[in-house]
Amino acid sequence: MTDVAGERTGVPEVAVPSVDVAPESQPIGWRHRHLLDVDGLVAADLELVMRTADAMREVLARPIAKVPALRGRSVTILFYEASTRTRVSFEVAAKNLSADVVNIAASASSVTKGESLVDTVRTIEALGAQMLVMRHGVSGAPYLAAEVFGGSVLNGGDGWHAHPTQALLDLYTMRSRLGGGPSGLGVAGRKVVILGDVLHSRVARSNIWSLTAAGADLWLCGPPTLLRGFEAWAGRGAAAGRRFTVTSDVSAALRDADVVMALRIQRERMSSGLLPSLREYAARYGLTAARVATAKPGALVMHPGPMNEGVEIAADVAAGPQSVITDQVTNGVAIRMALLYLLAGVSPAESAKP
Amino acid sequence: MTDLEISRAWLVDPASGREGPGEIVVREGVLRAVTWLEGDDAAGVDASGVIVTPGFIDLHAHLREPGNEDAETVATGLAAAAHGGFTTVCAMPNTTPALDDPAVLDRIRAAAEASRSPVELLAHGAVTMDRSGETLAPLGELADAGVVGFSDDGAPVRSAAILRNALAYAGALGLPIVDHAEDPTQTAGAEANDGFVATVLGLRGWPVSAEVAAVARDLAIFSDVLRDVPGARLHLTHLSTRAALDLVRRAKSDGLPVTCDVTPHHLALTDEWIAGARRYAWEAGPDGDPWRDDVIGAEPFAPAMRVNPPLRSPADALACLAALRDGTADAIATDHAPHTEVDKVVEFGFAANGISGIETALGLVLVAVDAGELTLPRAIALLTIGPAAILGDRGRRSAAGAGVGLTEGAPADLVVFDRADSWTVNPESLASRGKNSPLLGMSLPGRVLLTMAGGRTAYEAPAD
Repeated sequence: MTDVAGERTGVPEVAVPSVDVAPESQPIGWRHRHLLDVDGLVAADLELVMRTADAMREVLARPIAKVPALRGRSVTILFYEASTRTRVSFEVAAKNLSADVVNIAASASSVTKGESLVDTVRTIEALGAQMLVMRHGVSGAPYLAAEVFGGSVLNGGDGWHAHPTQALLDLYTMRSRLGGGPSGLGVAGRKVVILGDVLHSRVARSNIWSLTAAGADLWLCGPPTLLRGFEAWAGRGAAAGRRFTVTSDVSAALRDADVVMALRIQRERMSSGLLPSLREYAARYGLTAARVATAKPGALVMHPGPMNEGVEIAADVAAGPQSVITDQVTNGVAIRMALLYLLAGVSPAESAKP
Repeated sequence: MTDLEISRAWLVDPASGREGPGEIVVREGVLRAVTWLEGDDAAGVDASGVIVTPGFIDLHAHLREPGNEDAETVATGLAAAAHGGFTTVCAMPNTTPALDDPAVLDRIRAAAEASRSPVELLAHGAVTMDRSGETLAPLGELADAGVVGFSDDGAPVRSAAILRNALAYAGALGLPIVDHAEDPTQTAGAEANDGFVATVLGLRGWPVSAEVAAVARDLAIFSDVLRDVPGARLHLTHLSTRAALDLVRRAKSDGLPVTCDVTPHHLALTDEWIAGARRYAWEAGPDGDPWRDDVIGAEPFAPAMRVNPPLRSPADALACLAALRDGTADAIATDHAPHTEVDKVVEFGFAANGISGIETALGLVLVAVDAGELTLPRAIALLTIGPAAILGDRGRRSAAGAGVGLTEGAPADLVVFDRADSWTVNPESLASRGKNSPLLGMSLPGRVLLTMAGGRTAYEAPAD
């Protein structure tokens, strides 16, 4: 927690790498071999990711948005869940760094023939992969993969548990827009609201860790059935210096907010009795223009996608002037480039606890 | 037959309520002499070294045969039991096929015979056919064949109406219903105790209320049934929550003849272990928080931690210990649940429920004793006379009139362990085929030196 306190008084000193050359050719203060969650990242880690992503944004602004930093490296993208946005974002990020990319969709692999995750990961490694980007529907699955994989594992989302690159691109987007400037995480003391299906959301869980580490005034809001357990976490978190507020009162949550992030509502929540109907959800918790107007003027509107427009977010809000949803997508590529780059610079021998 | 002399050891004999320095002599498998030392002869002998107690009784073990012999067989299960100090094991009926027919009992008895293990194999029969919860299994035939109770374990007796009938019918046969208390409508897809750890890790919550609701249902029905069938008996197995144990405590104080057991893992381990912490419940304290306390040393989501009922909060584990101390809980039972790697070394959410625990039970209990959570005699009582009382006069020790004690003239049935000698739990040190222990790599006190069952050596530690 000392790092959080340090963040409020000053930005940790980090050496920003030169991303045009290979990461192992220079000293970089990054010691994590895998990126499985954001709970282990301290403020200095977050700052290094942000600064490296700044450098990647510059690469993306070039006429040819490509550097040779990861030339000759093999990145395998293994997705056990359907995804377009995240998978393509990782693929573009890896290719921008000149890595060789292999894509495996679980439906097309031997997974459907009953092969175990451990066997699949061993096979991928035997085929030469040095970095493994993985999405899985079961919480914790990347930890099992990291146990057997010889290279680095990047979690692209596991069950309800974690979505670290999404949390980092969210932080990066807030930092860019909230005037943190080139230094600082930008969200310290800012009121950030995560609105919707928190219970089933890996995005919410990862954002709890990164936003509280960055000193945000975090609020979680949604129907009580979709906040199960979080009041207790908030109580524990306060004792550990990780403060956040949990409420079903949407007006209290949105009042004077700096950032509002809506989460996707899935239809199966109705069949399991967690919600009466989508219509009722939209009326009570949907992010409408009227609700956005109760936040601070110019408050940022975010959504991790894919959106159900007209349910958790109104179409005019999603496309409106306060929306930074397309920024999130662009920043996602820069953040994933930064993370691939940072992880590639860590050899297994010198890495800290993953 | 075996001859044995142990001098200057610490004897613990719950049947006579006695513990202290002593000596035993076994001749041709019979416990010929039990001598309690006094005065100068007893000098220097205390409870911190070699200890001799009656052989342990496990009311609840999954031996997997027939149907899943890759996970365990009767032979390997009995060998694991002997390594853990157990001389009597009650096999659970959730095999394939289920033990809903005397022929299945004949089959596992034949397997026990073929194994030549002297550990006594007892068995619970299924309550319902194929454990499906719909129609009663032939309880009378199974009783005649020698089962010691009835259980649909792995699942509760689903229908309250069936449970009512089963309690009455089994009661007339003098046998208990051993219920796995879980309300399945609350636990569909559940992965971990519904609490702080599950919330943080994004695991589907397994609520305390699912156990409490089932215990309340069972107690209410049992109370009704007793009016008609005073001999009916209900045993609640592997209780894991403070609230459920509170219900049992109150029922007992109201005079209901209900009994229950707690597993070694539920009294010592907690849901923090899923997060990667490796401290015992009493080290965590009731408000333990592995993140705040910075005690996460292992990777999270280890599938060995997945078990039904789930590892609970530290407060619940401490309540299990309190229940064992004050008599609310009658016995420690292992719920030994061996699994293959194929079923267990997978994603946490896909992993089979269960802990291979019959060999680590004594060690975990002794850790609790070392921490002052249980006294040594109480701990040994919970492994011997506690379960024996639930079995009644079934089992060869009772049937022979010897009872479960260090009884002179009876076939030697005892365990010798060295409390000061620790051992490391690893796949090679476990005799069970199931290597799915949360304790792999950890050290436990109380290495078993010798287990004798029915006058024969069941396990002997290799010479160093």
